[in-house]
Amino acid sequence: MTDAAGRALDDAFLALVRAWAGGGEGCDESAFDAHARATFAYQFERNEPYRRFARAQGVSEARAPRTWREIPAVPATAFKDATLATFDPVEAELTFHTSGTTAATAGKHYIERAALYDAALLAGFDRFMLPDRPKLRYLNFVPNPRFRPHSSLGYMMGHVAVLRGDGKAAYFLEDDRVDVAGFAKALDAACALAQPVCIAGTAFALAALLDELERDARTFAAPAGSRLMETGGFKGRARVVERAELYARLTAALGIATEAIVAEYGMTELVSQYYDAPQSRAGETRVKVAPPWLRTLIVDGDGREVPAGETGFLRHVDLGNRSSAVAVDTEDRGYRVDGGIVLLGRDLDAPARGCSLDAEALLARPFVSTLSS
Amino acid sequence: MSPAGRRLRAVADAAERWTNADFPPRVRTTRALIARTGYTEPVVDYALDRLFGALGRDALLATIEGELGSLAALDGFVTRTGRPDVAYRGLARVAIVSSDTTIGVAVFPLAFALCAGSRVTVKDRDDRLIAAFGETLAQELPELAERFESGVWDGHDEAASRALLGAADAVVAFGRTETLAAVRGLLAPEARFLPFGHRTSAGYVTREALADERQVAACAGGAARDALLYDGEGCLSLHALFVERDGALDAATFARRVAAACDVAAVEFPAGYHELDATVVAYRRAALFRAAQGRGEALAGVTAPHLVVFDPPADEPPPLLRRTLAIYPVDTPSDASAFLRRHGLPLEALALAGDARPRADVEAFALASGASRIAAFGSLQDPPLGGEHGGAGRILPFVRAIYRA
Repeated sequence: MTDAAGRALDDAFLALVRAWAGGGEGCDESAFDAHARATFAYQFERNEPYRRFARAQGVSEARAPRTWREIPAVPATAFKDATLATFDPVEAELTFHTSGTTAATAGKHYIERAALYDAALLAGFDRFMLPDRPKLRYLNFVPNPRFRPHSSLGYMMGHVAVLRGDGKAAYFLEDDRVDVAGFAKALDAACALAQPVCIAGTAFALAALLDELERDARTFAAPAGSRLMETGGFKGRARVVERAELYARLTAALGIATEAIVAEYGMTELVSQYYDAPQSRAGETRVKVAPPWLRTLIVDGDGREVPAGETGFLRHVDLGNRSSAVAVDTEDRGYRVDGGIVLLGRDLDAPARGCSLDAEALLARPFVSTLSS
Repeated sequence: MSPAGRRLRAVADAAERWTNADFPPRVRTTRALIARTGYTEPVVDYALDRLFGALGRDALLATIEGELGSLAALDGFVTRTGRPDVAYRGLARVAIVSSDTTIGVAVFPLAFALCAGSRVTVKDRDDRLIAAFGETLAQELPELAERFESGVWDGHDEAASRALLGAADAVVAFGRTETLAAVRGLLAPEARFLPFGHRTSAGYVTREALADERQVAACAGGAARDALLYDGEGCLSLHALFVERDGALDAATFARRVAAACDVAAVEFPAGYHELDATVVAYRRAALFRAAQGRGEALAGVTAPHLVVFDPPADEPPPLLRRTLAIYPVDTPSDASAFLRRHGLPLEALALAGDARPRADVEAFALASGASRIAAFGSLQDPPLGGEHGGAGRILPFVRAIYRA
């Protein structure tokens, strides 16, 4: 059971979400700072792996972060290496496993109270995906939460579909296979009823869908008001399709305008999500915006903030992560612009110049040992 | 002088010119190599010194005599004890595809194919090192100009690749598995194929070495050079180092010695990049997090972007990242062998402490490790000409034996 200090933080967080969902501005710098540092102090006391890491970063009871910007951020991979929880994980209401990466073992994000995740999810989704409050039919290329309960993406779309959908949501992704025939039938049915849809899927799954539709020269004209949420990118995939190309193909195949295609950016290790800012969706550069309880620093490889406008790695501070780690470092690169961040692809690493084996090449090798017996 | 002797002398003399850092073609090529690779000048100079310094006349002659019995066998029949007389003819056409390598890896096969008397075509890199060296060869012996050409073309140009490779009697190719597979698919059925895929190198430090301060210093300093040269991007770059537990110096302390030695080596061979890759950053952060949990140590460079990680998870392969060395404490060579086997690591070379003959179990491990070269720490990146690169001979792949019996 959540202790009193945790409940107080949760209440404050939920009040913040409710205020923003109701049209308020959320929290200013000082309110965010106070909440973030209080959350970190709570975690420092109860989350032993985080405390050890913070101590190694020079933080102690006597030397607490002076601002939220100084809160030590755990690497996203730490969720694989340790149990980052302020509570007994067996009491977690939600447990999400990292996926879509090539890591050998999955990380786990234990969330003590589903209410925080649900509130943050719905507030963000409502504002950025459903500002006109339609009842859409959700056609999902994400894991079915019934069969993959530890997929944060499956949970997210399952939750939205139940609470915001027309009751006829369907899933067309099983492992890496897309059910194109089932999807076509479902979209045809929605078109016949002029029922607008929300198609949600990972970029990888959507690319696979397009490959099959294009091979069969199959196109649709999705009902007016339809939209598409793309997420997940191509993390851990050998095949990468340019986003602009992907969106152009989606528009051509599904009849959904580019402006109605929204990229969501989230992580299993976070409770909250970023979305494309509405005003940037028609432009070449999409700006990602977040609810006010999620802020992001742009840092260099050593964790120092880079000057405004410069590219760096994204460090997220998510007040929704009350029961795990409030600050998380990522491998994602981006830069800050007015009102948000621009997310860059994961293909910015310099190409290897030599004949050394790298992880990608090792994975691509047939697993034949070269050792003598 | 015999035809083969003239060719050998021309190759050696041309190489000798290239050992002079002030030789204008080398100066131009050095700039081009720095521009292409991003490596710093000391690193490029080191590479060119080692590359051309190895191609001395004596070393070339010794290698050819070692593999063919005598240089004269390239010009006619020679007698052999207990075997029929033999002559070696160079294959008519040799192609070398150096698509995915650090610096000048095509030079050695080019030198031996020319010595064999073959016509050689080299797919060069943008720095045109091979073309520039070819001009020097032609100056030494004009007939070599007729036997050698190089060019730069897009590997995706299948017509160009097929025209070159389909007509070759032997093809040497460096590159990733998919590149090698594509090359293999273009060869004539009877063509010889010498594929050099991406590999890595490892090292093993025994507790006997840890009991001798002189060997500790040599191993730590040598390991640092082997790990940092070419930013850890060569197949001879050290990426995994196994250190025996329970030595006079414990493995963790030895790891710290290696990290300190890396700080020194980084002065001689500075990093050829300024920004860390996302994969490197992610690995460093993860290592720091694990170290904070009491699992191993993450020893970052004081002023340079290298990282020595002690006791990383054995269920993960070594990081295989730039300037990143993983050090694993082990009880016996069997542990190291099990690690290599578990992760399917293809080894190019294995470094050992250089002073004494290795312990029997270490030698057995080295022979079974899959490496084609065993070297002392600090010399991994300096392979001798007389060694069999990748387990194959130097000149044997480019000749056909004709015996008289």
